[in-house]
Amino acid sequence: MANLELLLLIVLGTGLVAYLLTKVNQFLGSVFTIAATTFAFVSLAAYGFNGGLDTTVQWIPWLSFSVTNLGFFFAIIIVFVYLMVSFFHPYFLDHYKYPSVYNMLFLWSLAGVLGTFFTENTIQLFFFFEFIVWTSMFLIPMGKSKKAAVSYYGFSAAGSFAMLFGILVMANVSGSYGLSTGLAALTGSGKEALVFVLFLIAGFAKLGAFPFHIWLPEAHGNAPHPFSPVLSGALVKLGAFVAVFALIRIAPFSVTIDAIALPVAQWIVAILGSLSIVFGTLMAIREDDAKKLLAYSSMSHGGYILVAFSLLDSVAFAGGFYHILAHALASAGAFMAIAAVARQTGTTKMSELGGLIHKMPVTYIVYLVAIISMAGIPPMGGFISKWLIFQAVLNKGMVLVTIAVFFGSIGSFLYVFRPLAALFLGQWITKYDGQVKEAPLLMMIPMLIITALNVYTGVFPDWLLGVTNGVITDLGYPALQVAVAAPFTLNGYYGTLAPAIISLVFAVGVVVAAIIFFVLKKSRKVTLMDTYTAANFVHNEELLHYTKDFYAPLERLYEKYTTKMRDFYNALAYKVKEVGQLAKYLFMSKFAEVALFWTILILIFLLWGEF
Amino acid sequence: MSAVLLIAIPLLVAFVSILSKKLAPWLLLATPIANLVLLFLVPTGIVVIGGFQPPFGISLLLDTYSFIALFAVNALVFVIGLLNVKEYHQFSSILLVALAGLNGLILTNDLFNLFVFLEIAGIAAYLIAASNKKPASVFHYLVLGAVGSSFYLFGLIILYAMFGTLNMVDMIEKINAATVSASALILPFFLMFVGLGVEAKLLPFNSWVKGVLGSSNTMSGPMFASVYAVTVSFVFGRLLNNLFAFQGNLLVVVVAILLLGIALGEAMAFSSKKAREILLYSSIAQASVVILLFVNGLVLWGALLAVANAVSKFVLFYVVTKAQKEVGCDDLDSLQGMFQGNYVVGVAFSVAALSVIGIPLFAGFVLKLGYLTELAANANWLAIAVILVASLVEGIYYVRMLVKLWYPGEKEVKVSFGNVATVVIALAAALLLVFGVYRGPIDNLDNTIDSVSEVIDLG
Repeated sequence: MANLELLLLIVLGTGLVAYLLTKVNQFLGSVFTIAATTFAFVSLAAYGFNGGLDTTVQWIPWLSFSVTNLGFFFAIIIVFVYLMVSFFHPYFLDHYKYPSVYNMLFLWSLAGVLGTFFTENTIQLFFFFEFIVWTSMFLIPMGKSKKAAVSYYGFSAAGSFAMLFGILVMANVSGSYGLSTGLAALTGSGKEALVFVLFLIAGFAKLGAFPFHIWLPEAHGNAPHPFSPVLSGALVKLGAFVAVFALIRIAPFSVTIDAIALPVAQWIVAILGSLSIVFGTLMAIREDDAKKLLAYSSMSHGGYILVAFSLLDSVAFAGGFYHILAHALASAGAFMAIAAVARQTGTTKMSELGGLIHKMPVTYIVYLVAIISMAGIPPMGGFISKWLIFQAVLNKGMVLVTIAVFFGSIGSFLYVFRPLAALFLGQWITKYDGQVKEAPLLMMIPMLIITALNVYTGVFPDWLLGVTNGVITDLGYPALQVAVAAPFTLNGYYGTLAPAIISLVFAVGVVVAAIIFFVLKKSRKVTLMDTYTAANFVHNEELLHYTKDFYAPLERLYEKYTTKMRDFYNALAYKVKEVGQLAKYLFMSKFAEVALFWTILILIFLLWGEF
Repeated sequence: MSAVLLIAIPLLVAFVSILSKKLAPWLLLATPIANLVLLFLVPTGIVVIGGFQPPFGISLLLDTYSFIALFAVNALVFVIGLLNVKEYHQFSSILLVALAGLNGLILTNDLFNLFVFLEIAGIAAYLIAASNKKPASVFHYLVLGAVGSSFYLFGLIILYAMFGTLNMVDMIEKINAATVSASALILPFFLMFVGLGVEAKLLPFNSWVKGVLGSSNTMSGPMFASVYAVTVSFVFGRLLNNLFAFQGNLLVVVVAILLLGIALGEAMAFSSKKAREILLYSSIAQASVVILLFVNGLVLWGALLAVANAVSKFVLFYVVTKAQKEVGCDDLDSLQGMFQGNYVVGVAFSVAALSVIGIPLFAGFVLKLGYLTELAANANWLAIAVILVASLVEGIYYVRMLVKLWYPGEKEVKVSFGNVATVVIALAAALLLVFGVYRGPIDNLDNTIDSVSEVIDLG
């Protein structure tokens, strides 16, 4: 389907059909959801890559579509994540209170994605932005926590309202609701700084970057298991989309820091992005719940994306866009693997799990590949993007930001391997004896596809970098040089990278390790309780779990400060409550005289000096 | 056929209905229907009563603006009557009096006559409030209502002394023609503003709302939150847009009152735990938004927002008061999961709530976007900022409420709404959905409303 309007309407319609079918039979409805998502993805992929998407509008007059490389890049990634996740539906829906609504809202939010990224009209952008917020908001409470939906809505709405304010200011300046005309008209209007800040609030809030990160662990950690990958891999990227406009297309201050050749505003954003990286990493290190850990990791990766786009540099942009792709794939893969584990064991707490590699080897591989990409280790996609971002940051000579991006990278080694060790390695927890087996085939398909793509993005990035180059040249910057010296290499500021050769080295290493593993004698398996300490037998498996308090010495350094931001928002909510109670006390008294008192007071104020 | 029948019929039927207790509920249902039919038959324009040519005597004004309000009020009274006809049949006559008063408020073109209808509608309102069985709060309402209408009357007397006319159109012309200093008009205008502000639930004058709506039932809740609210908003809009020429200090004070009303209304709702209290504080904020739009001259958006709020608040209040009646308590925690067996009602309630927050696909979104873009065109940034921050707070507590009502807590809550109520509520929600995607009629209205207000300006 090449026509975007029809595609959007069809996806909306399939939402209703999915609702009815799921009412009749959950499996049928879920398979239909898979089919509908596949249809959307195939349509986009088939027509989008060769520029064949049709933007004519026939049925709904107030819609208008426009295809840009930027929009298409985001849309195809997000729709792909939706497609992959839809394969999980048949196995999870029976856990949820309103399964038919789940399928319906899932497809509707997908329709919202189609509307958001393919438009030039800012009002339409806001419409679908909000549409995605409310459709996804009702999915979250089907998971573990009802509160999570409220904080998700609060932060998302704060972001989208800030964006709306920005849009209104922009329209006031330019006289139209066109995105490009609006952004162009801002220059020299004196309103640049306001719109810049407002758009960035939207970007930060959606991306879950510091200081708007509180909702990430709440929403990602408590959302239904198959929806966490969508939130983390797909929907937070809406923030990146808005941030790109603000950072690249608006120049709020004319002041430039000469030493790093960067405008002040962008520099501030780079610093904030660095803080996101550092705080996200530190919080992830001390998290016990695997999903919340990955949520904090999303926060830190949001920071990378912000840093990349604030550098105003081709290499950084290439890194930023590639990171959006790599992180979408990696976090979707990791969350899906955790979802598979949660389905089989019923928990995502690391201290309650262990040794799953014996029962779920494929899921283990999926998770392993995903986190290697997340940590930015070759031969996965995350390595390519981080390499580009490092190059750009170093080239700018931004010391603090450089420290932060390297810290985040090393920190992610510390935290992403903890769920790996806790969930899959280590000793088998005996309470799962006989319960756990590998995830079903239908769930395996998307996990394996994503794993293959994680590897592909790391080994052969050339074609995909060509796609991101299209986006970068659209934004008015020169393309990243790919494959100039030799095929399959990229040029940064300091040397060239040959991902295929690096991958080959890794492959050889893996083969050697495998040979050693298979040839040498097998290790003897013991259970976790097969031990004693201080001459006493320990009867609680969890205490012996070696990921319990894994980084305790490190955590002790900052554990006092970990709740500061949460406390801040709680205090803010409390203050609003207090203001409300004060207003009730002042104005809502049960004595009628009080209202009269206020009226007369205002009257005196009004007439003071008039007579 | 004359528009005066829209007032005369309900008033007459109200007296007739006292004679037969059995017949009264039927009369209550038939009258609004008859009015709705009449509404399409009577000619628009100024209706002269008793042969006195304006500016003498009393005249009525039926234009697109009052047409919308009359349609909404009569339809809502019918629906509310229908849903409560069994339980509150003894209130039939009172509802008819209320209907006569409200129709009169909307139609009248005479400022003193407006006061009379304000009193008629007020008396009916005190009696309706009495159905809550909370005498103290009714008394409170009575006192404030009396103070409000005296303020209105006091302001009007000053205006009459200054200009010597009570006819609205005539008064507007005289005010425009005369060279009275703006400060001389502060006192009468502000007094009239307060007088209507009491009924319109504007912040410092509205302490009666908590007692009355906070303990409202399936009849009084929707009556006050939607029928009275929409009427007073329209009357206010008429006066604000044509008569009151707010400027200088008065404008500043009025705008400050309204902005504070929006912000504090939402804050008060945020700090409440009881469903009815949340809704009533939310409607305080919404009423301030509507009046703020009128003050800014956005007549169309103010009017449509008032109607949309009336529809949503009808759904919200009916559902909550009904649940309160069955469960015996309206703490959100004790109502958890009440939509489990009531999907249709739950969806309708959610649609109404989402429409109030202004979320896409529902009427509230179209309106919110509409008036915000208009405010932006006037570069009224402060108002936009306050409205957006207030909407954020509003969204948070509504979402919290929706999540609680959909997902069960420890105790199972069972509320049965009955078929009639379910259908009516679903239809109301469907309206919000239809006007959330289809905006043809709004664009048409834009032209007609403007032209009529121009007619008034010209006299």
